[in-house]
Amino acid sequence: MTNSPWLAHYPSDVPHQLPAAAFANLPELLRSSASQYKKQIAFTQVMPNGMNGSLTYAEVDRLSDHFAAYLREDLGLAAGDRVAVQVPNCLSFPILAFGIFKAGCVLVNTNPLYTANEMIHQFSDSGAKTLVVIDMFADRLPAVLASTSIENVVTVKISEFFPTMVGGVIRGVQKFWSKTIPKIEVKHTKFSAAISSGKAKYQENKVSGYITGLNSETLAALQYTGGTTGVSKGAMLSHGNLVANTLQMIAHCGSGMRAGKETVLTALPLYHVFAFTVNLLGFYYNGARNILVPSPRPPGNLRRAFDNYKITWLSGVNTLFNALLNERWFQDAPPKYLHASAAGGMALQASVATRWRELTGTPIVEGYGLTESSPVLTFNPLTGTAKDGTVGIPVPSTELKCVDENGNEVPVGQPGEIIARGPQVMLGYWHRPDESAKSLQNGWLHTGDVASMDADGYFTIVDRTHDMILVNGFNVYPNEIEEQIAAVPGVLEVGVIGVPDEQTGERVQAYIKASVPAPSPAEVTAYCRTNLSAYKIPQDIIFVDELPKSPIGKILRRTLRDEATASRSAKSDANKGA
Amino acid sequence: MRTLRILSEEIANEATVVNEFEQTLLRIFILVIMFGLGAGLTPKDFSLAIRRPWGLVIGWLTQFGIMPLTAYLLIVTVLFPFSNGGDVMLIALGALIMGSVPAGTTSNLFTYFSKGNVALSVTMTINSTLWAFIMTPAALLIYSRLLGLDESLQIEFGELAIVIVGLIIPVALGMLVRKFSSNIGALLELFGSVVGLLFIPFLIAIWVPRNWELLLTTQWPTYVVAIGMGLVGITVAYYLSKLLRLHPMNARTIALETGINNGPLAIAVIVAVYIENPGVDKILLVPALYSLFIVIISTLVTLVFRRANLAAEQKIPNLL
Repeated sequence: MTNSPWLAHYPSDVPHQLPAAAFANLPELLRSSASQYKKQIAFTQVMPNGMNGSLTYAEVDRLSDHFAAYLREDLGLAAGDRVAVQVPNCLSFPILAFGIFKAGCVLVNTNPLYTANEMIHQFSDSGAKTLVVIDMFADRLPAVLASTSIENVVTVKISEFFPTMVGGVIRGVQKFWSKTIPKIEVKHTKFSAAISSGKAKYQENKVSGYITGLNSETLAALQYTGGTTGVSKGAMLSHGNLVANTLQMIAHCGSGMRAGKETVLTALPLYHVFAFTVNLLGFYYNGARNILVPSPRPPGNLRRAFDNYKITWLSGVNTLFNALLNERWFQDAPPKYLHASAAGGMALQASVATRWRELTGTPIVEGYGLTESSPVLTFNPLTGTAKDGTVGIPVPSTELKCVDENGNEVPVGQPGEIIARGPQVMLGYWHRPDESAKSLQNGWLHTGDVASMDADGYFTIVDRTHDMILVNGFNVYPNEIEEQIAAVPGVLEVGVIGVPDEQTGERVQAYIKASVPAPSPAEVTAYCRTNLSAYKIPQDIIFVDELPKSPIGKILRRTLRDEATASRSAKSDANKGA
Repeated sequence: MRTLRILSEEIANEATVVNEFEQTLLRIFILVIMFGLGAGLTPKDFSLAIRRPWGLVIGWLTQFGIMPLTAYLLIVTVLFPFSNGGDVMLIALGALIMGSVPAGTTSNLFTYFSKGNVALSVTMTINSTLWAFIMTPAALLIYSRLLGLDESLQIEFGELAIVIVGLIIPVALGMLVRKFSSNIGALLELFGSVVGLLFIPFLIAIWVPRNWELLLTTQWPTYVVAIGMGLVGITVAYYLSKLLRLHPMNARTIALETGINNGPLAIAVIVAVYIENPGVDKILLVPALYSLFIVIISTLVTLVFRRANLAAEQKIPNLL
């Protein structure tokens, strides 16, 4: 191992290295917790009105076995076949994901809100032959299936595995009141039918046979990424990647995560790699009860979950924490049993972190990772020293370096691109050898993120390399400016980009979503002036109703740049016309 | 609970006839609704309503300040000058009583549909009902003197006790059920709200056919009083709460709580006290009209409030 100053800052309950492969593949890991926590509740799905359904560890284990049998015996899938899953957080999700792993197939997580074009791209690129989809969105299928290789469609109800009466009421409301169940015009199998058919064909020795030959190098999931850079590509995550990252995450939390005792609220979508590894795999392995919320929009949807369950852990993104802090019911009665919260996916703003700690009286730690690293690379230690504004230190068995354009490690405190090495780093991009070669060099993952490391080994993300703004030759990082503007009273959200400028090369432009009354541009500028060098002060401040965001709530600077370009060319066209 | 009273006691008025079946149905309706409302609440909601007493205090002020005053002002500015004969003094007495009684359970239902603070609404109803022992006769005394009506009225303990018990028991039971099973609680809450939705047209449907003659013969100034009281009460209480910077949710709750008075209670006390009076039907005129129109007004206000509530919801990006 090279220079790893962070090891000195590992809390005493966190190992430096993970022990040698404890599980050869995910099914082994899943079975070990199922046999340990059998009768404990593994998952509870909570609807906005409080209606709920639960599954125990033993039930999840059994039902996912049946689904594995269905995939292999009924559909005749072989090991390595891709199965796309397009469902929101619900009780079916773990059964689907675990069943696919147990069948030796490859999970392709898909955002249920994808448009037909996005679905076509992801399904054709992955070559999935089987799709499991929530029935609410199945109306897009006729357009999609024609352009992909999908042969089998399984439809899932949101109320799957609920008590009969409650499930029936939810179904009735969906059908007759909200009318959210479209007519499905393609041949499909209902999930319940798939499970019973799998159950009929299930034989223990057969199911255990599906995973012979699954080792740490075997592909487990294709996790699509690249929404912020352009064409979406599938990161190949192996069984070894996901097993390692699950264990790394748990080990890094040390005694902060109590085996068999936690209740975690999963408001982030499980199709996203953060919730997938941390909430679904991590907390399942740890014997926690997972409270699944199908949609946290509006945030009031989370109220009954907080009211009715003793939530001890929460994972989220800045947007979610901020939204909760702005909810009156949450301010009035912050969760009493909360133990800790983990933030990832995007920068956690210092103001949000501070308010969160003040209101809940519990730690919130920020981490960092990428889809390409399963995703967790760093986290602030929960039981040791957490440094705010940093993304913490690398998790066990992980190395990080900040390097310059030539690949040389930069001095402590200097910004450079993060490169990372560890058992969680992906195999490569699916069918994209060129991109894979660019991204993975000599075993190091090139992240495209700029960060600096302090003398203790804590990393601070400066920005994405391609988001950097160059003003008069000075590097300006949008995050730094956004952080300042976000602290101006009345500013709800902010996105900062660089736009071409004749004199300075680029100039800083800020997009602000504000509350009523909104702060004036002069107030924003004045605030920035007290905290930022002159060249970093936004030259243009534009107030907007909504900022473009990715599925997990990251503000899409690329879209802002596109809009800025479009409005410039529209203007110049208008000028030409005049 | 009391709404049934309205109809049962109106038998005395002979303008309306409600049969046993309808009475029982209404009684069950309200029990189911309150049970459902209770199933949506936790003890925490009530402790919050009490811990932050401003809502209660302002609600108390608007309840016993604005409503009787509004009744009085409408009587003086509209009813007296513009009525064409026809026992205005008796009508005025009825209007005054209507303005001076506390809030009723209907306000809890509309608060629920407005996505207001149901715990605050229920607490306010209990609070104003308890205060009614003193405040209702006091308000009546003051304004009837001002109007030159030499009337005073006692409210029987029993009348108010029934309101409070009829409110507390189903709500407490609902909360208990939710604690025991959040699934059954959620089912009850949903069922209660469906019943609540049916309750509104049901009230209108049994009121109008029996009283259509009343609607045709009543003079417009009486309409202005009966309709205006609720409308002014809701509006003034809403803007006052906004002015005092209460949370919008609580402002909406206080508005509905203030504007929606316990019509059945007003009718019950009138019947109890004036049954021997040959003009009792005139005294009952405003409370009867009020009871119909407040349902219509509140429905419209609820639609507006729901829209405001939706607009104020935090828009966060798709996490689904």
